Amino acid sequence: MKHTKQRISKIVDEMLNYFFLIGATDIEVHLKDEEEFYKIFLKSNYTKGQENRIEELIRYLEAPKQEEMEEYYWELAGACDMDTELTLIGMMIDKGEVNFTQDKIELTLYKKK
Amino acid sequence: MYRMKFDKTESIIKKYKVSNQNRYLITAGYCMYLIVFGLLVDSPQNILNGIYKIILQPDTLITDYIGVGGMGAAFVNSGLLTLIFVWMLYHFKIYFSGATMASLFLILGFSFFGKNLFNVWFIVVGVYLYAKVQKDKFLKYIYVALFGTAMAPIVTEMFFYTHFSIYGRIVIGSIVGVSIGFILPPLSAYMMKVHQGFDLYNIGFTAGMIGTIFVSVFKSYGFEPHMQFIWTTGNNKILSVFLFFMFSSMICIGFYFNDKSFKRVKDIMKYEGRLITDFILLEGFAPTLINMGINGLLSTIYILLVGGDLNGPTIGGILTVSGFGAFGKHSKNIIPIWIGVYIGALTKMWSINDASILLAALFGTSLAPIAGEFGWKYGVLAGFIHSSVVLNVGILHGGLNLYNNGFAAGIVAAVLLPVIQAFRQEGMIDHETH
Repeated sequence: MKHTKQRISKIVDEMLNYFFLIGATDIEVHLKDEEEFYKIFLKSNYTKGQENRIEELIRYLEAPKQEEMEEYYWELAGACDMDTELTLIGMMIDKGEVNFTQDKIELTLYKKK
Repeated sequence: MYRMKFDKTESIIKKYKVSNQNRYLITAGYCMYLIVFGLLVDSPQNILNGIYKIILQPDTLITDYIGVGGMGAAFVNSGLLTLIFVWMLYHFKIYFSGATMASLFLILGFSFFGKNLFNVWFIVVGVYLYAKVQKDKFLKYIYVALFGTAMAPIVTEMFFYTHFSIYGRIVIGSIVGVSIGFILPPLSAYMMKVHQGFDLYNIGFTAGMIGTIFVSVFKSYGFEPHMQFIWTTGNNKILSVFLFFMFSSMICIGFYFNDKSFKRVKDIMKYEGRLITDFILLEGFAPTLINMGINGLLSTIYILLVGGDLNGPTIGGILTVSGFGAFGKHSKNIIPIWIGVYIGALTKMWSINDASILLAALFGTSLAPIAGEFGWKYGVLAGFIHSSVVLNVGILHGGLNLYNNGFAAGIVAAVLLPVIQAFRQEGMIDHETH
């Protein structure tokens, strides 16, 4: 796969865009380059009343992995600051985990090498 | 604390109401519908002769295959070619998404004016070779291969209309076709950044750039592509019956699989439509099929209302609008584009039912996301500008890029977007999470 690291940074970009959308003011990013996959851990706060957007985030991230979509469209991730590309992120990752409380969200995304 | 884990296994695909296999079957059914229609309106002998003529005829814009090989041959060419691609995608076990539907309907449509059973394969082989050189799976580039057949006319031009010997033409034609397919994957991904997904026919934009370079080089050696205009008239009655039946059946099948309801169809209209807006993934196959049927009916009605001709190119445009009803287009974001083109025709020096303007309206819906994202007024503006730009860019690639409107739309989007954004209030508009 070409531009693997750039794709990872685009996933991070896209998620940062999303966190800003839900009112984040405090964001942590932890990226780990493991032997078989990249692990992206993101933690953020969010403003009240955004729970439905988090539920939709989960729905989009559940999109089936589609390498053929990733190969053609990956440059769009994080490219636009007016809109989100969360389904594309869903198509790019292999698995993930979302934990959220009343004002904080933690997201762990895994992308195989 | 709420916790949710997700793992991308096949079980996710299986949970959908209309299975992957049934999606392929329904699409194959529409290919068969075209083939059967072709066989009903012409004799097998005429169809074979017609397909032969279609293969040999130059395919530069605008070449109406109904005028070249007859109605039967044009329909069989379209249905058969798309059926082969349906089989190919099914064979590679590609998840049937909105992009799958859009790419297949794009081939279905453009096989009425430029893509045929001979000229598309060189581009596909080029993409295949790129995958092999990158030591990657071909299926990862399958959409580039399908969308990339936009440049197929260049193969016909090289094979049949250059002054080389037969062997020279075979070699040059193959090399040019394959090399275009070979450079498409990296270019098409890169070009996406220019318009940020606001031009739904991204490959059209890419192919326009490639075509411009290739044709410039050809012209330096004295080779000029054949400019031609083959446009049939007088078939509105039979073709509207064909189209109305096709799109009504989509609504009926969608309705049946959608628990005999129109639920979620309205939800589709809420999306702005920017790439990637996969309605099949977001709202399901059945409501998407209904949306495709609505798009197809509206497009057919538009052509009839403005007094246009139903023929190969306009059917191509109508099928494309319908196909992208699974991947970004709905009535709310395409109608503003039509209004823009219509206003343009009132004030500019052409008529609304001129051939190029009919196609500008149908394929100009490539800019539908602008209306979806920024509002209908910007959609009207985009349509208005697009109808002028599209008439001036064809000369750059000598009509060899079938997605000329995608090329023009990419230019319009790339120029309009920064301007619109500069005067908009700071901040992100969230449409996807509506």
